[in-house]
Amino acid sequence: MGAVLYHGEPNGASLTVLAALAESGLDIPCRPIALLAGARHSLPGIAEPIALDLGIEGEGPVLVAGGEAMTESVFLAQYLDELAGGCGLQPDDAYAHWEMLMWCRQITERLSPAAALLGNLASSQAAIAAIPADDFAALTAAIVSDDLRARWQALHDGTIDAAQVADSEAKVDQTAQRCEDKLADGRDFLMGDFSIADLVTYSWLAGMEPIRPAAFAERPRTRAWLARVAVRPCILAAMAMASTPEPLKTWAPGPEINRWG
Amino acid sequence: MTDVTLYHWEPNANSGKPMLALMEKGVPFASHYIDMLQFDQHKPEYLAINPQGTIPAMTHRGAWGSRVLTESTAIMEYVNAAFAGPDLMPADAQDRWRVRWWMKFMDQWLGPSFSMIGWSVFVGPRVRERDPEELAAAIERIPLPERRRAWKKAINGDFSAEEMAESRRRVALGVAKLEEELGKRDYVGSDAYSLADINIFNSTYSLPLSQPDLASKDKTPNIMRWLKRVYEREAVRKTWAMGKTDMAARYSLVMEGII
Repeated sequence: MGAVLYHGEPNGASLTVLAALAESGLDIPCRPIALLAGARHSLPGIAEPIALDLGIEGEGPVLVAGGEAMTESVFLAQYLDELAGGCGLQPDDAYAHWEMLMWCRQITERLSPAAALLGNLASSQAAIAAIPADDFAALTAAIVSDDLRARWQALHDGTIDAAQVADSEAKVDQTAQRCEDKLADGRDFLMGDFSIADLVTYSWLAGMEPIRPAAFAERPRTRAWLARVAVRPCILAAMAMASTPEPLKTWAPGPEINRWG
Repeated sequence: MTDVTLYHWEPNANSGKPMLALMEKGVPFASHYIDMLQFDQHKPEYLAINPQGTIPAMTHRGAWGSRVLTESTAIMEYVNAAFAGPDLMPADAQDRWRVRWWMKFMDQWLGPSFSMIGWSVFVGPRVRERDPEELAAAIERIPLPERRRAWKKAINGDFSAEEMAESRRRVALGVAKLEEELGKRDYVGSDAYSLADINIFNSTYSLPLSQPDLASKDKTPNIMRWLKRVYEREAVRKTWAMGKTDMAARYSLVMEGII
């Protein structure tokens, strides 16, 4: 049975994996799914569901290979790179690789939950709140993870904590500053050479420009880097798979905000 | 003189990961014990090594000068890639993905719940007997705001009933899922011993003692079989011998329960 990549619009976690797939040159069929309709929780052909059921990333893409549901965009990007025999998305040097992993973890732990919260509030909350009660009950009943279901419910009920919004805005600002600092030596890409660090950072940060313009106003290097990444062939290929004119404005419930604060 | 220095606490949770990875690879290293309960990790001499004040940290000297590496799982990946010795990552790409998935599941979802319980019943009570002014000053020296909040909660016993219930729910569910996983494969994520085993062993080695309602010969035979196999590794014995607290004495107690 061949692998299939189920994905949302090219933004956030889905954008990272669609772009990594394009970069890898692998021939894996892609199937768009309606994340806000809960389609990710009724996928066919899965015998090993744990990574889907208890994934950290929220409504990210799912690669089904050999009956196993594979999730988490950074690891899927690594997998695609390695399956292709190394397509250049990961540094060979052990220390450079450690630096990339550290950067990606900062993004997935700090930026992704923040961007998902702000993005959903800006563009998805109204749609989620408008889902008829019976349909919403059926949708959330299909979600195995209690904490992911709670994030759907909070958006549906409009019970997002103002302090979490302020904290999320601060985390977007901090990420933009980290990018600005990293690019200060004149490098084109975050780790020097183009890598998964650029993919994952762009995927969560690009959609923040209209939502949190203050984060980018005084950070010209970060804006220029976003523009450079936007025209990379793999990003263009991923964006060409969009079914909406503004995919960077499409969001679905994302990762959990750190329980320790 | 060795090129590698590891700054670590007990062979437990995060500190235990790079200790065990180095030991498995056969990499000699200078051990620098950081007493977490004395807040050594927030003292100026350690902050000069790792300004974030988190443990473990590792320095690696070579032609490049001296590198400082932090974050236990990422250090393990560096150790595996940078040094000769047995490969602690599987060769198959999907197995490698699964090993990484389980490590993230532990580091970001299950581990924080283990540590919330551990801090509530172990770290907090041990530390809070100290002079309140000394504790307040120690907390003020913590660089990362989230760690400052965590220490305050642990010391003051401020974890809410809801937080603790959620942590217990996650631990029970995580242990059940680990049992299922180890019923499918010999080790976590693949059929070969890997970084995922080191990662998860360091947070689950004492489950039969600390949570016998969740992990026992009857309830979780796959976990018990796996624990026994990992416990018997020479690198584990050597690493555990580096412990300085009574946590190390648990080794024989757990082994008695397993065999």
